[in-house]
Amino acid sequence: MKKNGWIPTVCYQCKAECAIMVRVEDGCIKEVRGNPKARGKACVKGMAGISLEYNKDRLTQPLKRIGKRGEGKFKPVSWDEALEIITDKLKALKDRGEAHKLTASFFPHSITDPKWRFLNAYGGFINTALPHCDSAKIISCIKTMGGVPNHHIPPAWYTVPKDGIMILAGRHAFGGLDDASVPVHILDAKERGAKLVVIDPIFTADAAKADWWIPIKPAGDTAFFLGMIHHIITNNLYNKKFVDNWVREGDFDKLKNYIEDKTPKAMSKICDVPAADIKKLATECAKAPSVGVDSFKGIMLGQALDFGHAWTIFLAVTGNIDNPGGQPLPDLTPMASVEPVPAGPDLYELGWHRTGKDKDSFSNYSFIMEPTWYQAQAIKNGDLKVLINSEANPALTEMGQKEWCDAVCMAGDNDEYKLELLVSYEIMLSETSKYADLVLPDKSYFERWELLYMPWFYNFETGILLRQPVVEAPGECRHSNNVFIELGKRLVPEYFTFKDDLEYYDIQLAGLGLSVKKLQDMGGLWSTRTMGFRKYEQSGGFGTPSGKLHLYWEDLEGVNQAMPRSGLAQEYEVDIDKYPFVLISYRTIFHSGAGQWTHNNPQLRDTVSGFFDNPALINKSVATKLNIKDGDNITITSRTGQIKCKAKLTERIRPDCIGLAHGFGSTVGTTATIGQGVNDNILIPDAGSTLNWQDLVGGESHVSTRVRIEK
Amino acid sequence: MKQLSLMIDLSRCIGCKTCIVACRNFHGLVDYEAALPNEIPFYLRVESKREGVYPEISVNSWVVPCQHCKNALCVKACKSDAITKDPDTGIVRINKEKCSGEKDCIEACPYGVIQFNKQENYAHKCDLCFDLIHAGGTPVCVETCMTDAISFGEKQTLRQQAKDEGKEILKKMSAQSILYVHN
Repeated sequence: MKKNGWIPTVCYQCKAECAIMVRVEDGCIKEVRGNPKARGKACVKGMAGISLEYNKDRLTQPLKRIGKRGEGKFKPVSWDEALEIITDKLKALKDRGEAHKLTASFFPHSITDPKWRFLNAYGGFINTALPHCDSAKIISCIKTMGGVPNHHIPPAWYTVPKDGIMILAGRHAFGGLDDASVPVHILDAKERGAKLVVIDPIFTADAAKADWWIPIKPAGDTAFFLGMIHHIITNNLYNKKFVDNWVREGDFDKLKNYIEDKTPKAMSKICDVPAADIKKLATECAKAPSVGVDSFKGIMLGQALDFGHAWTIFLAVTGNIDNPGGQPLPDLTPMASVEPVPAGPDLYELGWHRTGKDKDSFSNYSFIMEPTWYQAQAIKNGDLKVLINSEANPALTEMGQKEWCDAVCMAGDNDEYKLELLVSYEIMLSETSKYADLVLPDKSYFERWELLYMPWFYNFETGILLRQPVVEAPGECRHSNNVFIELGKRLVPEYFTFKDDLEYYDIQLAGLGLSVKKLQDMGGLWSTRTMGFRKYEQSGGFGTPSGKLHLYWEDLEGVNQAMPRSGLAQEYEVDIDKYPFVLISYRTIFHSGAGQWTHNNPQLRDTVSGFFDNPALINKSVATKLNIKDGDNITITSRTGQIKCKAKLTERIRPDCIGLAHGFGSTVGTTATIGQGVNDNILIPDAGSTLNWQDLVGGESHVSTRVRIEK
Repeated sequence: MKQLSLMIDLSRCIGCKTCIVACRNFHGLVDYEAALPNEIPFYLRVESKREGVYPEISVNSWVVPCQHCKNALCVKACKSDAITKDPDTGIVRINKEKCSGEKDCIEACPYGVIQFNKQENYAHKCDLCFDLIHAGGTPVCVETCMTDAISFGEKQTLRQQAKDEGKEILKKMSAQSILYVHN
C-alpha cells in the first residue's frame, strides 16, 4: 500500500541517526524535516537523503564477481545462489574450527543489532570504525569513571548554564554532528552567556562561532590539558569538595606529584600555545559553573589514551562529571533480552588484533571491538578468512588503504584468495564493492525497519527510536538485518527461533511494555525524557572497582602510562626535516566518512548545496614562501604515499599543517566520479606498520601523518 | 508599507546549506534520478566573508535569497509583464504563464538569484513560499534552518525584534527587503 503524509522515522545519512519526519506523496518521498517531538532538526545531508533514495546508481539485484578482485566485473545472480555461497563458506569455516575468522564490518544500530547477534551466535567478530573513533575516550572513561561515554556522548549542550564553558578540542561539532540539534544548542548556550572555546589546528565552522580559537599544535592536547591541571591544582582552584568526596584516596596526591613539572610554561613548549593562554583558560574553567569538553579528532591526532586520561582528570579536578553542562554518564534503556543470549567469541583470546606477532604487546591497551584498521594485517596473518562489509567502505576509509586493497587480492592456497570470501552489502556500488565476490543490494533507511537504541545520549536520550519503511524498496533489495537473520536460521538456528526482525524487536520492546506496533502508533519514539545528574550520589559511587574516580592507572605503571604522558605523538616527532608538515583531515557537514551515500549524492557534491572538491588547505604565508599560488597543482608526499591535488591558500590553518577534507577520492558512481577530490588515506600509513607509534601506546593518529608538499 | 521579509542572523548562520536543499525539495526543483552536481537550480545560496590574518581571523556566513527589491530591476526589465511586486506582501513574483523566456530579468538582477528552466523556457525564483505563508505557514528556509538563524515576518516587526534583541542591522547588506543582522 502506498503511503501518504508525514511519517516519523530515523535518518541514516550519518551515524548520528536523527529523528526525522518524511513527507510521502503517492509512494514517493517529497520532503524531510527534523522531528519536532525529538530534537527537531535535520541537516543538509538529511535533506539530501531524497537524492540518495532515487539515485540511479542504486543496486537492485545481487551480483557475483566474474573478473579478478578489484576489476569490478559482475554478473547478476539470484538471492538463493548468493545466500548458498555465503552459507556454504560459513559452514565450512565453522566446521574447521575457524568461526572466529569471520568478521562483519558494520555500524551497529543497536546493542542487539541482528547482524551483531548473528556474529555472537556464529562465533565471528564485529568490526567497526568505533574503536577507531572512540577507543581512547571509552577506555579512559571506563578506567577513570567506570562509564562508557564516547563521541556520541558530548556534553548536553542545552544544559550548559549561563557562564558555562564549552570546549571543543579537535571536535568538528558543526561538521561531524552528534545530532543535527548540536549547533543550535551550542549557539543558544552562547546567547545565554556561555563561552565557546575551540582548540584546533584548523579554523573550523565551529571556530567561526567561537569566543576563542586556540590553534594548537596537532597532538598537543595532552600537554595543554596537563598545563591547565597544573595551574588549577597549584593555585588551589580545584573543586576540593568533589575531589575529597569522589577521587580515590591517594590518587590526588599522586597527581599532584606528577604534575609538579607540567607547568603551563613547560607544556606551552610542547603544544605551542602561550603559557598565559593555558593559565587563562584554566582559571576561567575553574571558576565557571560548568565546563563541558568534547573531543574527537583531538584523540586521533596523537596520543589518544594519554589525552583521554588527561581529559578525564581535568573533568574530575573541576568536578564536571554528570552535572549540567559537564560530561554526562547516560544509562542504558532497559530492554528485554532475547533468549538465549549468545556469548560471542573471546576477543582477548581469538581477536585478530591479538593473534599476530604483537599479541602480547596489546595487553596494555584493550580495544572493545576489533579495530577496522587491522583488516589488512589480519588477512596477511591468515586470521581473517571471510569479511562481510555492510554499509562500510574500507577500500576508501581504511588508513593505508592500498595495503587493504593489496591484502584482499593476495593469493592463498588452492587458487583461492587468502581472504576466502569478501561480501559487500550496500545500496550502491562502492570502492569496496569492486573487490567483492558478492555484492548484495541493501534497503535504504527509507525502506526498512530498525529498532535503534545505543548509549548515544544525544540522539536517542535514554530511549529508543523506530526506523520504519516509508516507501517501497526498488528491485530485489533486502535489508541486511533480515539476511543475517536468514543466515542465523541456517547456521545457528537455536539463536534464531523468532520469525523475523519485527518479532525480534517485539521481544526486546516487551521490556518497556511496548511492541513495534505500539511504538509506531506512539510516533516512533520513546524516551524517559531525563538524563539525570550526579547519579553517582544516589547509586553510591561510580562504576569503578572502588566506586571512586581513578586518576592513577596502576595497571599501566609498567609502560609509563599510569599518568598521561605529555609528549606529542611519536610519529610527529621524527623526520621533521624530510616531512615538515602535519597532514590533518577535517570534516564538513556535507559528507559522512567515505560513504557513497554522501559522496555519490549530487546535492551534496553540488557547489551551491554541498562540497564538490577537497583541495589541500595551506597557510598563505607558507605557500608564498614555497611559491605556491591558489589553485596550483601540488604533490603531497608522506612516508607511505603520494597524492596530487589543488592547493587552496587560507589563513584558517596553522602554518605547520596541511588540511584535507576526509572521505573523497571515490572512483565509483555517476556523481562521485564527476566530483573531484583526493583520498587522504593514501597518505596515512597502514596501522600495522606503525604499531609502536600508535596502538601499542594507545595512540590513534590514524587520520594524520607527516608530509611534504611540492609544486 | 506592507513588506514581508526574512531576517538573517550572521551570528547564527553556520553556512550549512540545509535551507538550500530543503527549499529545493519543497519547490520540486530537483529531478532526483537525473540531477548532476552544479546543474541543479537553487533559490538560496550561501556567501561568506573571511577576514584577518592567521591567527586573528573571522569568518561570517549568510544566505542570499531573492531580496524582493523595493524597485525591482527584474520587474522593469521584463517585457512580458510577467514579474510583479505583490502590493499586499511586497513579494516579487514571476508569473510562469506570462514568462516568455527572454532572460532579461536574469541579466537585470543585481543579486543573481533568478533561475531558468531550459526545458520549459521560464524564469523562476524564491517567492517567500507564497502559497505556504498565505496558508499560515513559514517559508521552508525558516522552518528548516538548523541554527534558527532565519526569521520570517513583516519587515517592520523584524526590525523591532532585532532592536529588542540587541542585534545590529547590517545596513549595506539590508538595502532591499531582506534584513541581515548580527550580535
